[in-house]
Amino acid sequence: MHIILVEDDAQLGDAIRRALERLAYTISWYRDGNEALSALRDHDADLVLLDLGLPGRDGMDVLSEARRLRVTTPVIVMSARDALDSRIQVLDAGADDYLIKPFHLDELAARIRSLARRVRGAAVNKLEAGALSLDLGTFDVVWHGQKVELTRREFALLQALMERAGRIVRRESLETSLYGPDSAMSTSALEVLVHSLRRKLSHEAIQTVRGFGYMIPREPL
Amino acid sequence: MTPLSLRSRLLILIVIVLAAVLLPLGVLSAKRTLEEVDELSDGRLAQAARTLEVLVGRIGVDQLRSQRDARLLVPSVSNHPQELTVQGRTFESEVGFQVFDHDGHLLLGTENLAGLPNTHAADGAFEDVETGHHEWRVFTLIMESENITIRAGERYDSRHEITRALWIEHGLPTLLGLPLLAILVGWAIRRGLGPLEALAGALARREPGSREPIHLSDAPTELQPVLTALNDQISRLESALDRERRFSADVAHELRTPLASTMINLEDAMASAQPDEATRAALEAARACLVSLARRTEQLLALARLEVGAASGPRSRVDLGELALEVIDELAPLVGKGSVEMSVRELPEHLFVEGYGVALGALLRNLLENAFRHVPQGGHVELAIGSVDGMARIEVVDDGPGIPPDRRAAMFTRFQRGVDTHGEGYGLGLSIVQRAAELHGASIELLDRHGGSGLRVVVTLPAA
Repeated sequence: MHIILVEDDAQLGDAIRRALERLAYTISWYRDGNEALSALRDHDADLVLLDLGLPGRDGMDVLSEARRLRVTTPVIVMSARDALDSRIQVLDAGADDYLIKPFHLDELAARIRSLARRVRGAAVNKLEAGALSLDLGTFDVVWHGQKVELTRREFALLQALMERAGRIVRRESLETSLYGPDSAMSTSALEVLVHSLRRKLSHEAIQTVRGFGYMIPREPL
Repeated sequence: MTPLSLRSRLLILIVIVLAAVLLPLGVLSAKRTLEEVDELSDGRLAQAARTLEVLVGRIGVDQLRSQRDARLLVPSVSNHPQELTVQGRTFESEVGFQVFDHDGHLLLGTENLAGLPNTHAADGAFEDVETGHHEWRVFTLIMESENITIRAGERYDSRHEITRALWIEHGLPTLLGLPLLAILVGWAIRRGLGPLEALAGALARREPGSREPIHLSDAPTELQPVLTALNDQISRLESALDRERRFSADVAHELRTPLASTMINLEDAMASAQPDEATRAALEAARACLVSLARRTEQLLALARLEVGAASGPRSRVDLGELALEVIDELAPLVGKGSVEMSVRELPEHLFVEGYGVALGALLRNLLENAFRHVPQGGHVELAIGSVDGMARIEVVDDGPGIPPDRRAAMFTRFQRGVDTHGEGYGLGLSIVQRAAELHGASIELLDRHGGSGLRVVVTLPAA
């Protein structure tokens, strides 16, 4: 898998390149915004790791210009900038994910895998999170290599959670996607559904924020 | 004593100045008017005497003398009114005359002057003479050729009536006009001080922490230096704040990048090599230190942002419900670890407060992160946001070790740790919470969890 790494800091760029090469990724490393943009335009990469503070051309500019040129390669932005205001800007500008420096290598690797899966999955109509995969065409669910039989409702719940893996999904929005917006279903119906889904996968596969919602981690156990 | 308002000062000063000029002027003018009236009346009197002189001259003195026994007395004025008109009102003054021959015998006279003794005044003299009930103004004219004395008289009370009429016609309106004048002066002052009031209004309407320069459309020249000085001050403050902000952003960037490369290098080393037990433990320890360093850097940066951010923007309506969703979303990695269970006891769809979204976000995040850090494996963190008696209330409860009551006050000191000295300490996180709370006039209470060990933090702030 070919990754374009755009990072002007020599030490960090080198560290990421080495770490990712060890994980068997092919890395092209650019330190300048303009170079990065032409590389993005001219080369077929599977994924881009983009720093924001760049010489030549700012990372945000590279991102929006690339999107304007219809470059669809998924982009993970790695930013040392202050979180709150830029996160939304970056995602709005067309980034697929966002990491604030410093981050763990595990976290970076997980985001790369998850994004790669999402891209691959979208092509074959599949949702994947770690050892869990969901085929939206055939309704097949595979968990640690084993096929799992789910009811229609369980599948719908799992799909709703998988579409936003790694994020907490609010109960209300799950209920809406399961029973429609005006349903008078009691909340216990959802809990029962989560309970049975957990029995078929694992308890840790679905995390609960009681009174709020549920999430499937990026790499469920 | 409260100082007088500018408007009252001006009003009082103007009234004093007006009074100081207008009163003497009025008195002087009244006096001059009376004198004029006197002169005018005297003139008329003299003219009447001269007319008589001509008449007597025509008739001839002898003619008059021949009838001296008959002592001609003419009935008084009512048939021959002397009229004076003041502002449309007609005043009749009672006048009369006497003609004496050289012996002092009365040849001709009006009844009303019958009792007036001959005073033998000089030619052309005016005198005041009293008869019975009245006072007369008398003019004496001596015809040298015929040796005859002609006297013309006018009653003073008639004159007084005229002067009184003049007073009423002119003085009264002036007196009544004074309050009107005061009102108009008051209005004029208000109008004149308008720009000042506009400036005061513009200052009062400023949001606390607003960075906009003050703008007054058509500010008068006197206010320009004030405005310029104020706006200079604001822009100096603004650029200082900007420098601070840029500094903390630069520091953030400068620190985060090497932290990131250290982290990646370390974790890469741990994953790639096959270290022995001791090396592995050392690497693990180094990584834990690095994580803690990164976390503290973030907290210090957050604190610096709060210090600078306090004055760097206007407050706005912040939806705590919405904000909580964002913060919970950011906590997903902590929740995803699965070692601590989180629950949300109460969360309104919308709950508005006046304030700074970033600061309130930092407050919520640090409260929850602190709780996550202090509960043991399998522990529980609970969040409740609600409104109580018009106040917004944020409550975070954990079932960690808690903080003994005697140490709670000290908890807000920066770098103060909690009881579990091997943990990360509450200090910096609580400092952030405290600073953010200060910005919003919020109170923080550290309490025991109901029914068991653990900390319950309650932040109460005014709802919008």
